[in-house]
Amino acid sequence: MADTKYSWPTREEAQIIGSRRNRLDGMEKSTGAAKYTYDVNLKDQLIARALGSPHAHCTIASIDIKAAEQTPGVVHVEVLRKVGYEIKWQGDLIAVVAAESEAAAAEGVTNVKITYNEMDVFVQDAELELARKAGRTAPAGGKSVTQVEPGDDDDEDEFVEAEIQRLYDASPHKLEGYYGIDAITHCCLEPHGSTVQWKDGKLLAYLSTQNVSGTDEAFATDLDMTSDDVEVRCEYIGGGFGSKFAADYWGVAAARISKETGRPVKFMLSRDQELKNAGNRPSGYLKVRIGADNNGVVQVWDSQHWGTAGVRGGGISQSVIPYVIQPPNYRRKAIGIKTNNGQARAWRAPNHPQACAMTQTAIDDLARVMKKDAFDVFAANLGNVANGKGDVYLAEMKVAAEIIGWKDKYHLHGQGPSKGGVVEGMGLALHMWGGTANSSTCRLVIRSDGSVESSCGTQDLGTGTRTVCAMVLAETFGLDLDDVTVNIGSSKYPMSGASGGSTTVGAVSESHRRAAQDALQILFEKVAGQLSAKPEELVAVNGAIHVAGDKKRMISWKAACSRLGVQSIEVSASHKRGDASPLSNSGVCGVQMAEVAVDTETGVVKIKKFVAVQDQGLVISPKTCESQIYGAVIMGIAAALYEQRISDPATGAFVNAELSDYKLARLGDVGEIIVELYEPESERQRGVIGNGEPPAISPVAAVSNAICNALGVRVPVAPYTPQRVLEALQGRA
Amino acid sequence: MHAFDYKSPEVLAEALQQLADSDGSAKPLAGGTDLIDQMRTGRHQPTLVIDIKKVAELNVLECAGDGLHVGAATPCYRICGDDNVQQDYTALADACNIIGGVQIQSRASVGGNLCNSGPAGDSIPAMIALRGICVIAGSAGTREVPVAEFCTGPGQNVLADNELLVEIRFPPRPTASGSHYRRMIPRNEMDIAVVGVGASVTLNEAGTTITDACIGLGAVGPTPLLAARAGECLVGQTVSDATLANAVEAAKEIISPITDMRGTQEYRVHVTGVLVRRVLETAISRATGDPCVVRPGH
Repeated sequence: MADTKYSWPTREEAQIIGSRRNRLDGMEKSTGAAKYTYDVNLKDQLIARALGSPHAHCTIASIDIKAAEQTPGVVHVEVLRKVGYEIKWQGDLIAVVAAESEAAAAEGVTNVKITYNEMDVFVQDAELELARKAGRTAPAGGKSVTQVEPGDDDDEDEFVEAEIQRLYDASPHKLEGYYGIDAITHCCLEPHGSTVQWKDGKLLAYLSTQNVSGTDEAFATDLDMTSDDVEVRCEYIGGGFGSKFAADYWGVAAARISKETGRPVKFMLSRDQELKNAGNRPSGYLKVRIGADNNGVVQVWDSQHWGTAGVRGGGISQSVIPYVIQPPNYRRKAIGIKTNNGQARAWRAPNHPQACAMTQTAIDDLARVMKKDAFDVFAANLGNVANGKGDVYLAEMKVAAEIIGWKDKYHLHGQGPSKGGVVEGMGLALHMWGGTANSSTCRLVIRSDGSVESSCGTQDLGTGTRTVCAMVLAETFGLDLDDVTVNIGSSKYPMSGASGGSTTVGAVSESHRRAAQDALQILFEKVAGQLSAKPEELVAVNGAIHVAGDKKRMISWKAACSRLGVQSIEVSASHKRGDASPLSNSGVCGVQMAEVAVDTETGVVKIKKFVAVQDQGLVISPKTCESQIYGAVIMGIAAALYEQRISDPATGAFVNAELSDYKLARLGDVGEIIVELYEPESERQRGVIGNGEPPAISPVAAVSNAICNALGVRVPVAPYTPQRVLEALQGRA
Repeated sequence: MHAFDYKSPEVLAEALQQLADSDGSAKPLAGGTDLIDQMRTGRHQPTLVIDIKKVAELNVLECAGDGLHVGAATPCYRICGDDNVQQDYTALADACNIIGGVQIQSRASVGGNLCNSGPAGDSIPAMIALRGICVIAGSAGTREVPVAEFCTGPGQNVLADNELLVEIRFPPRPTASGSHYRRMIPRNEMDIAVVGVGASVTLNEAGTTITDACIGLGAVGPTPLLAARAGECLVGQTVSDATLANAVEAAKEIISPITDMRGTQEYRVHVTGVLVRRVLETAISRATGDPCVVRPGH
């Protein structure tokens, strides 16, 4: 068999790729037939509930589980933390009770008696000086770049200090600003958890996970078995967003209890435990001074930012500051703060949304102080974008501006009319992301009855992975989506990378296209003689194989496959992350614009219109691709206006750890959202690039800039709650 | 959730007997939109849940010569969809229209909202403004309590363990009257009020002078409040910005909002003023025959 030349069909050739197909599992999901992990109930299963620490910082003085064990219905009590263990955030799980019913488990939890030695807490991550006094800060890196480099005899720090100051002083336009974004928490609508069954030395784990291929090992290690004896399954998942890559200690605890009791165990976190324990997005607060030339091109950037990723400190990486627009001279410094909050986990485009919100607000403020159109100031800075794609940004800015009506609606900051105390404004923001295809393997079988079946250890986060796999296979074989069967969601299938970092669509389209092209080549070789042609002269289109340019020399797909007899075609093809490929690529831009209305009497902000223009190389499935962007924008609007982890400074308690108080956006809150896929031929030819993260980056900055445009003053810290809006208007922000 | 017994009487007397027999360990269930959640979180752990939705008296929705009768279990969707309520008791329709989404409105009742006695209950300021009267039945007979006096603290009210709220009765509406309820929430829908204001206004024939006014406030004290002086100071006054400003200041005087994660005391006081003015403006417009639903502003 000749080496296959992997490629995508051209736009003109493509029959399935790029067409607007419904997602394969849409009906199952919308009718409730889809089985999520939370829906899995096994015969004779136990229900597990956990006790979380009521204190944010303490040591465990004593643990008494006798009463819990004697609670009617309770079968097993598993202690996760020992006496003397230092609890560092409220909600950290201490013990798990498995019982015959949810009520018995809950009662058992109340009967676990624990005493604590309370310790000092610190949760005021926005307050740098308080954090310093509390000894909670640590340097988190920095970098300085100047066009004029220090001489051999210069002290580098002194030189940079003097050069940054000189550039700032020489700038005709200066700005000093403060910007921030509070920590938000993961709140997957399906909480973290699993239903596990230990049987005959093997473990079956229905795990709500973004990583079926990478979580079996954690179970195996803890239970002293090999990963071959563990199967992790996840058919459907109700949200992950970067927080569900691991088996987690509660998942492993469920497996231990199953092994101990010999019964299946279902253990899903309660809502407050989900919000407290299952990860969060770090906060960031930034002070900056910038100097710009008369065109608004930033020449010097000098910033310090701080924030927290939880108990281990950290915060927003210094590497993404300043964001997208990277002036020729800059100095950045980061400080991490350790707080008594749960530790952060990856959250849709880690670091980028915060960086965007803390820095592109400054670019917009520059437009405000210069009394210039923000579009023009952003455009003027496109010669200094970090990824060198200024031309793409400008093209996307023009598309977005046309859709939202920027020219007609835009006014200088604070210069718009007020109607009944309501003012309107427009804002924009830019973002960037990688999206390299993850490693992935696809096993593919073509049988003599014409059936096509693939297996791949990936998972569908609800984003259309299953549909994309089917579209790639159907396109390659000239079939329709109903003609192919896609198996995903089990660790028993060939390995595929975790679904995170916008790596999935690239990964699965790589492995499935490669496997399909390999298999098709074999089939072509089987039928070429019958068509009096060479294999390389054949094409598969519309349910048939024929000679390119000669449809009369044709054989139907089924007839072709029937020639296989008992010998199915079975191939396995892989892509390794980082390998150059004509099928996938990395590096995307994106532009978003927001139009808001702000009630200056109540401080309430409403989104009127939101436009997201996004490139992602070649688009396999436009509908699911757009759906990703809609979801990302809605999440971003929630972070801009509502989402906020609120901690009590006295006790460290996470006081809004319920969805009644932890505000997410409803559909009535997000206004009109318009998504535009930017896919000129120059982008399409780059191959497939993931888009899960990038559209979630810009919303906070775009909304902030629109609010500032409406009001003429900056509301510095997200979420931009009504109270914060009024404080900004009153000059108290 | 704990295990409990469930009964669904179809006759009021039967429901009252079950309540009396339970010695305080029973909870009536109307829509259940508060109770079920509170049982799930352990706040209430009744041994008996008495489903009152099948009791006829508790499901009335009638507008007659003596005013409007709203059964305690009558769901919000029926109330806000009723022509008479929309026309004459508009504040109540406003409130029922924004309590939750369609599913919640199909279950939730204003009787339940009142008996839950949350300071931020959306229907309560509207019912105070419309001078609602609670009809309460118990083993000892029936008594009446103004809505404004029903709640006694957060989650507390005048009901004895053996008593049931049967209906809320509203007096007939005079001509040239209008009412409105509005709340301030951070989001656009389905959220708990940071401040809620209901107001009813009656004008003279010329539509220039206020002859009667009543204002109810929510989420700015331990119970929903009757802003009596704010209403009284409007009576006899011509409709003007200055007149409304006086009512705003009078309303602010009686409130004692707390600072919590939903807003500071200062913010709530400020927004109370904004909302009182806006609600009065809308109520006055409606009294003049303008069916306006929304004044400028959110």
